[in-house]
This record gives sequence, structure tokens and C-alpha cells, in this order.
Amino acid sequence: MLKFVLARIGQAVLVLWAAFTLSFVLLQAMPGDAVLIKFLNPEYGLSPEQIAEIRADYAVDGSLFAQYAASLGNLLTGDFGYSVQAGVPVSAQLAVNLPATLTLASLGFATAVILAALLAFLSSFSAGSRLRDLIQSIPALFISIPVFWLGIMLIQIFSFRLKLVPVIHPGPWESLILPVLTLAVPISAPLAQILIRNLDEIETRSFVSVARAKGASRGRVLFRHVARNAVLPVLTIAGVLFGELLAGAVVTETVFGLSGIGSLTERAVSHQDLAVLQAVVIVSAAIFVAINLIVDLAYPFLDPRLKPRAGA
Amino acid sequence: MKSRVSLTSFTLAAVLAATAASVTGAHAAEPVKGGTLIYLEQQTHTNLYPPAGGFYPNGGILNQITDKLTYQNPKTLEIEPWIAESWQVNADATEYTFKIRSNVSFSDGSPLDAAAVARNFDVFGLGDKALKYPVSEVVNNYDRSEVVDPQTVKFYFKKPSPGFLQGTSVIGSGLLSLKTLTLPFETLGDATKIVGSGPFLVESETLGKELNLKAREDYAWGPAKLEHQGRAYIDGISYIVTGEDSVRIGALLAGQADLIRQIQAYDEPQVESQDFRIYAASTRGVNNSIVFRPDNPLVADVKVRKALSLATNTKEIVSTLFSANYPVATSILASSAIGYADEAAKLGFDPEKAKALLDEAGYKPGADGIREKDGQKLVLTAYESLPQPQNRATLQLVAQQWGKVGVTLNVLAGDAGSRTVDDLDPLKTPVSPAMVGRADPDVLKSQYYPKNRDVLRQKGGPSDKVQSFVDPKLNGILETIATEPDREKRLKAAAEAQAYVLDQAYAIPIFEEPQVYAAAPYVNGLAFEAVGRPSFYSVWLDK
Repeated sequence: MLKFVLARIGQAVLVLWAAFTLSFVLLQAMPGDAVLIKFLNPEYGLSPEQIAEIRADYAVDGSLFAQYAASLGNLLTGDFGYSVQAGVPVSAQLAVNLPATLTLASLGFATAVILAALLAFLSSFSAGSRLRDLIQSIPALFISIPVFWLGIMLIQIFSFRLKLVPVIHPGPWESLILPVLTLAVPISAPLAQILIRNLDEIETRSFVSVARAKGASRGRVLFRHVARNAVLPVLTIAGVLFGELLAGAVVTETVFGLSGIGSLTERAVSHQDLAVLQAVVIVSAAIFVAINLIVDLAYPFLDPRLKPRAGA
Repeated sequence: MKSRVSLTSFTLAAVLAATAASVTGAHAAEPVKGGTLIYLEQQTHTNLYPPAGGFYPNGGILNQITDKLTYQNPKTLEIEPWIAESWQVNADATEYTFKIRSNVSFSDGSPLDAAAVARNFDVFGLGDKALKYPVSEVVNNYDRSEVVDPQTVKFYFKKPSPGFLQGTSVIGSGLLSLKTLTLPFETLGDATKIVGSGPFLVESETLGKELNLKAREDYAWGPAKLEHQGRAYIDGISYIVTGEDSVRIGALLAGQADLIRQIQAYDEPQVESQDFRIYAASTRGVNNSIVFRPDNPLVADVKVRKALSLATNTKEIVSTLFSANYPVATSILASSAIGYADEAAKLGFDPEKAKALLDEAGYKPGADGIREKDGQKLVLTAYESLPQPQNRATLQLVAQQWGKVGVTLNVLAGDAGSRTVDDLDPLKTPVSPAMVGRADPDVLKSQYYPKNRDVLRQKGGPSDKVQSFVDPKLNGILETIATEPDREKRLKAAAEAQAYVLDQAYAIPIFEEPQVYAAAPYVNGLAFEAVGRPSFYSVWLDK
């Protein structure tokens, strides 16, 4: 087990390094750079000589390898550098934005799981009725709703019309209700679809018939026998979906005006703020890797067959 | 029956009283103290080094937390005393002496005296290499400062710098505490580190999201001629970044915010229909325009540029996309700008004449309707400018209008990097949108001079892609504007520059660009400095 964990952690480090290098190469390949975008901006009205001096100060025209080495070195010592555009240390930006996004994403994900489970079990219980068709079409609807539109509609209805939750200066919990819902709806759709399909498929297996024949109630069969087997593939997809959550956060945070990694990334991308983007890539990759590691480690507990055998 | 009559008369009386109250409320009522103004910004502020104050979100903050040496009256555009009680300028505008008001302090307690002012302008005029401070666009030909006595400071210039006095009044010349000016440039994006002497000080900030200012209780040095003196009326301002247009407007109308910035013309009726107020503050500078890069052979011929100017129907653009708050341009400068000259005669819409000029220039319609000369098609490209209102729609409408005379204009969005790099190359961007605000004729030089913004892309400017284009005559006029100490001669040069740019058809001015804000009906005393940034010093809330 320890060997397995160590191997996975080694893999994770490799993935992080690859993510860092790849993002560095891609960002360097783009035309222009943060310093050029910032100081050639007419707001400053700088002369060509002044811009050249600034470029020299920021050492943006040095060799690519030197820049890569410096950037990697700083990263290893935990120094993320400064955001050229915002004029603050990147670590300060992460300190504000990371917890906000993690809270939003975790709550969004939890809500999505609950929504998905609700849909799946409702569908399973209503087998054979018209209601079932209706429930089964809900995930398709959810996945087709643009997050942007959903967020704006929720704000318009619940905040501006019904005045239930303010968008400006909301309380700590009030500020999360609508964004979490916005984020959960599209994420819940694939989860619900997989769960519904698995439940249906496992219902037809022989061990379920045996359990039924032994006189188990419908609920007991569903929760004790079917659900436990149906949940495994869902867990796999959940790890991938969490990454999607970070992407979904860009739109949600922009619409609701929340601080977070999503809005930070959006600003950094539009100004090619290299230091910020590298930090975001590393942090997101780390979260993504960690979640998938947890998912992998959780498998054996849900399915004893997946436990690594001693000596294997 | 009797009760109904009395009820009716009561209602009538109430309506009358309410009307009377609202009328007086708008004008004469005594300002009420207290309350926090909730202000929704469209974008997050960036680096708050004052010379970067041109960016609207930055200017909106800096204008509240810093004071300036002088105050430019937004109505008369005259320069009035503020931190400087009085000043003297020598005959050729190379020496400026300012007498500093006494008992002025920064919010960290340090004094705002001659030494502090001297250091501020040394930084703005020369930059600071060690701290990576760039120089300020508004301080030209700066040489050095001299602290004559604790309340007197003198500035020396290498060449005449007649725009300097107005330059001391702009947001970009906001005075900072000496302690702030020891911090590296890279850290000045943190508003809590920006210490000024303004009527408000930074209380707290959540980066990228929210900024809270509170009123300074001991503030007693507002612009001398302003009616309101002493402390600000409101207790504080809460800036909240709300990027989504519909959320800003919805929040304002739902009573969750008091004031919002950036309302597109198509949203104005929605706000006005509910008694909310639209403020369209003029930016008093170079109009929202399309400029040409004559280094590109396609637009090197003045006949082609003139034809494209005649093919542009600015009235249609304004009536289709904008509102009455966006006046059609009558020169390259706004009609409310200093030095404006009415050049409407040189502008106009005449597609037939445009076609004739293009024929004359040798561009004949090809098989596909696009004009061409020696096999070279008249196909031009422009990048949209994100900060300008509805710029993409504007350019697309221009493209349609040019299409009718056989010229193609491709409008690109592009990422910031490609845009910045391509914009330097006249071959890639023969056409570009442009505008800049500043209430001094120097603004013309800022916009067109190769060592400044260089919108025409001349040789010797920031671009190394330019082959040969340079216009010594234009540059000569611009230099006169920047160095001529005599006011009359300077204004004459400004008029000359406007006429010349239009004679050469270097630019097609479209409209006078305002900054549009919307406020709840109970927001009073809202003022704007000369180029449309808000001042909250005299704001009071009649809730």
C-alpha cells in the first residue's frame, strides 16, 4: 500500500512539472508579453526609450532557458513573484482567491452530488411510469443550460425581483447560495446520467434478482446492493469533473462578481501575466492531482476487489 | 362621502408635498452627513501609481485619496489653487514656483510640504530606476526641483513646458506620502499601501473584489474655490467590482447599489425610465476616432484616406449605436476641450465623392466589387479596442459603410498580446481606433507625437516595423503646442494641428466620448473632474 502511494505521489510530481513546463512554453509562444502589454498601454504614454529601459529592468528579453530556470527556481522556493498587471505579489492574490474558489467548488460539487443522487434514486423508484421519462430527461436539460445565462437568471429572479438574497454586500452564506446553485446544475448532469445508467444496469444483474427473491424490500435492494456497485464509476468521473468545476468557476465568479481563481485566471490570461498564470496552473494541477489521488485511494474501500494484494 | 373627499384631498396634498420635496431635494436642500456610497466598478483597479491613473478604475480611486497641487475647474477649465496656494511661472515656462498651503498632512501623519511635493515631481518627471517607477506622461522636459523653504518649491525644466501647470492638476499628479514613494513599483497595486492626503483614505481591500475608503475627519484643504470645505459628507465609499453589465444595472435599480460606472447606450433608457440619473461626463480630449497608419502603402495616399473619411457616416454610427450623450465629432478634439476648433466643414458624408477619389487614386472596382490597384486589393484591418464603448460594433458599422464604396475592413478581436504586437506594425494594422482624454492642448501631442502614443506610427516611435513614414510638419506643430509659453500662440497651434490632421485625413473623428455613470435619485453632489473621473468629496445621500 505504501509503495502504491509513493508511486502515485512520484507520478503527481512529474505531472506538476510537466504542467509547469508546458504552460511556460505555451505562454512564451504567444505574441507579446505582460510587460509589453502593460507599459505599451497608452494609459502610460511612455516613449520607446523608456519602454526599452523597463523591459531591461524586468529582464523579459533574456534567453528563454534563463527565464525558465529562474521561474522554476522561484517556484521551488515558494516564491511566485509579482503580478505585472495588478502590481501585487502573486502569493497575496492566491491567498484571497484560492480559499474562495475552493469553498465555492466544494459546495458546488457537494450540491451537484446531492442533486444527481436525488435524480437517480427518483428515477429508479419511479421505474415504469411516465415520471421516469421526465426525470431522465432532466440531466440533458441541465447540461444544455449555459452557466452564464443561468447565473444571470438566478440573480434577476431571486435577487432583483424577489429580493431574497442581495448580490452586493451579501452575508457570507448568502453570497454562496446562488453561485453554488449555478455551478451545481451543469455538474450534476453527467453525474446523474451515469448514476441512472448504472443503477438500471445493475438492477438487471442476477444477484439483485437473488436479493429480491430472498424477500428484501425495494429500498434495501437499491441502497444495500445496487447503489454500492453503481457508485464506483461515478467516483472516477467525479475526479475529472472537479477540474471542470474550476473552469466553471471562471464564468460563475465573473457573473456574481466573486473573487476567486476563475476571475483571477481570466484577468491574467487577457494580460499574459506570466507569474500569475504559472501559479494558477501549478495550484490547479496540484489540486487536480490530489483529488485523483484521493479517488484512487478510495476505490479499495468501496470495492474490496480493488485492494492491492499483499506482495503484489 | 365626506371621508372620501378628505382622502382625495389628503392624497393630493401628499403628492404635492412629495413633488415639492423632490424639486428642492434636487437643488437647495442642506447636505446630509453620513452614509456609505456603494459604487459598482466594471473592472478591478491595477497599479495605483498615480501616473497610471488614466485607467478609469484607477482614476476613480486615486481621485478620492490623493490631492493635487492645483485644481482644474471642470466648468471653466481654469487652473485654481488647491495644495498650492499660489504660483509663479517665468516668461518662457521653464521655471515654476509653488507656494504650498500649510498644515496639510498625509493620512499617515507625515506633512505635505515643499519637500514632499519636490520628491513627488522628481519621481513623476524623471522616474525612479531602482524602484521601477516610469515617468509621467504629463510632465514634459522636467529637469529638477528645488525646495526654497518648507512651504515653497521650485521646478526647473530643460525646455519650455507650458502644459506643466495643468499637468499638476490631473489625477496622474496625485501627491503621495514619501513613505509610499519608497515602495517598489510592483507592490503599488495594493491600495492599502497608497497613502495620500485626500478627503478619503483606504480602510481595507479584498484584492480584485472590494475596496473600502473612509472619510478623513481632519480633512481641511479642499480646492480653495470649492463651495464645500472641510470633511467629506459621506462616511465612506465601498467600491465593488461587478464586471457583468446587467448585474450592475440590476443591482442599482433594485436598490443594492448607489452609483455604477459604464452604462452602454442601449441600457440608458432602462435606467432613465425609473427616475435614476444618467451622468455622461465629457472626457474633453481627443475624440473617439479611427486613425490611419500611412506607412502602409494602401493608406499612404491622402486621396484614399480622404475617400474613407467621406465614406464614413458618423451620424449613422451615433444614431444606430449610441445616444444623445455621444455628440457627433466636429474636429479631432471634443468641442468642450481647450483649444477646440470647429472643423466640421472638413468632415462629412459623401459616398459619391469618396468613390471618385478612390478612382482618382487608381483603385478601381475588381470583379468581386473590392477595389484594387496593380492587383493589390484595398483590404484593411483593425483591432477592436476593448476600453472604448461598443468599439467592435462601431468598427463593424464602419466596415459596412466602407464596403459600399468597395473597401474591405476586417475587424479583429485578438488577444492582448497579438493586438499589442500587431498594432506596432502598420502593414498588419493600417487602421486603428484611438482616443485619449486630457483637458489641455498637450493632449494632441500625447496622441500624435512619435515619442508619445504615436497613433499614426511614425518612424522614430515605439515601433521598429515602420519603414519610412514621418510627418515633420505635424511634429513641428505638436512641438509648438508642447513648448510655446504664450497661451494665444499655443491655442493657435492647437487649431492648426486639428486642421492639418483633417486635411491630411490622418484621422476620422467619430464622436465625443463620455464616461457614463448612473446614480440612484438620492445621490447628490456628484462631481467629475475635467476628464470624467468621479469626485465623491461633495457627495451626500438623501435617503
